[in-house]
Amino acid sequence: MSRYDSSGNYAPDARSKYRRPRYPFSPWGVAIGLILGLAGGLLYAWVVNPRVEFNTEPWQLNETDRANYIAGIALQYNYDSDLAKAVNRLVVLRLPGDPIQAVADTACKLASSSYVDNSSGQRAVRSMMTFYQLQGRTGCADTLLASGNVATPNAIIEAATPTLRPPATKTPTPQVTVIAQATPTQNIVIPTIQPQADFTLVDVRTYCSKELSGLIEVRVQDYNGDPIPGASVTVKWDNGESTFVTGLKPERGADYADFQMDAGKSYTVQVAGRSDPSQALVAGSCNDPDTGQPALISYRATFRPQ
Amino acid sequence: MIRFLLSLLVALIIGAAIGLYLGWVRFPVQYLNSPAASLADRYKDEYTIMVATGYLKDGDLGGAVDRLRVLGQANIPAYVQSVTERYISNSQDASDITYLVALSEGLGRLTPIMQPYSQLHAPGQKP
Repeated sequence: MSRYDSSGNYAPDARSKYRRPRYPFSPWGVAIGLILGLAGGLLYAWVVNPRVEFNTEPWQLNETDRANYIAGIALQYNYDSDLAKAVNRLVVLRLPGDPIQAVADTACKLASSSYVDNSSGQRAVRSMMTFYQLQGRTGCADTLLASGNVATPNAIIEAATPTLRPPATKTPTPQVTVIAQATPTQNIVIPTIQPQADFTLVDVRTYCSKELSGLIEVRVQDYNGDPIPGASVTVKWDNGESTFVTGLKPERGADYADFQMDAGKSYTVQVAGRSDPSQALVAGSCNDPDTGQPALISYRATFRPQ
Repeated sequence: MIRFLLSLLVALIIGAAIGLYLGWVRFPVQYLNSPAASLADRYKDEYTIMVATGYLKDGDLGGAVDRLRVLGQANIPAYVQSVTERYISNSQDASDITYLVALSEGLGRLTPIMQPYSQLHAPGQKP
């Protein structure tokens, strides 16, 4: 069969691009456009106009400020001895390896810098040392701060009149024979000490409400946060105390109990005989944020097992 | 040629849109080596409380102010007062409030709203 048509032109091959239907778009144009557009978009978003830096997390801090943050964690630990809180904050810093050893390493760097030139810096590094030493870690700050910055008074020895050696005694020193005797063993029984506090105050929050003015709301819960009804709660003030139990207001929850404070007085709250007293809760004045009316500060306190 | 240019233009727009989405939303720039001044408010508050407890422990007011300077605040006493009052207004943890009030009081900023929480004092601080 001839490839020439009736006009005498040579007909293109069946697979020729001239015989295929044309796409409505140019594949090359799309490919080049996408690559250029994507590159341009990323360049603009990452380099020319990146997202404004805010809400930085502690792990993004530079080395100096991260060290300051670690010092802050150690300072608070030295005050409240709350190891869990300190470790949780260290975890947020995403320190490489063992976070407590990282504190030791940071203290080492600070102790060998001008950070410890003033007493505030020294105190911060010593707080860090206390923190990691209690967890069984060591660092070069142990030696740097102990020997380098504590001024050792120079002992001045006055040259005194030389003392003459005493003459040899004529009486011979008697021979002393030491006879070793076995110390009788004694079995000591150490009594098991009952824990002094089963519950601990895990949360105290304040609020201001005209309707619930000067109220101490107490909740006693188990490890899982489930209510414990019938738990005795004691509130003490200057010259008195009141004990009541949870669950008497079932509409507020089986773990709930409350106490009405008098204006200006200071109170402590505890699970009767099973927790330490709380900090002082003062019935100070406040203004209800909704109504603007004066009221007394109210508290929400939650106890859980230790 | 027009078909090529039109395709190029449309693809360029789509590509740029995808690039901006990836660069701003999906994989935004993550800064490292940031200063403490750019910390999120939550962490600034936490740091301020840490410094306040340090002050309660050692009574070193100058040291506390030095430690807070890294937050880039022009007026440290005003900043501590603002954080303290916000904590009281938002019914935050009562212990944290007492720490902040102690520092605020040390800086001479004990306002009426803070007075009920003025329970802790640093060494050498007059109650």
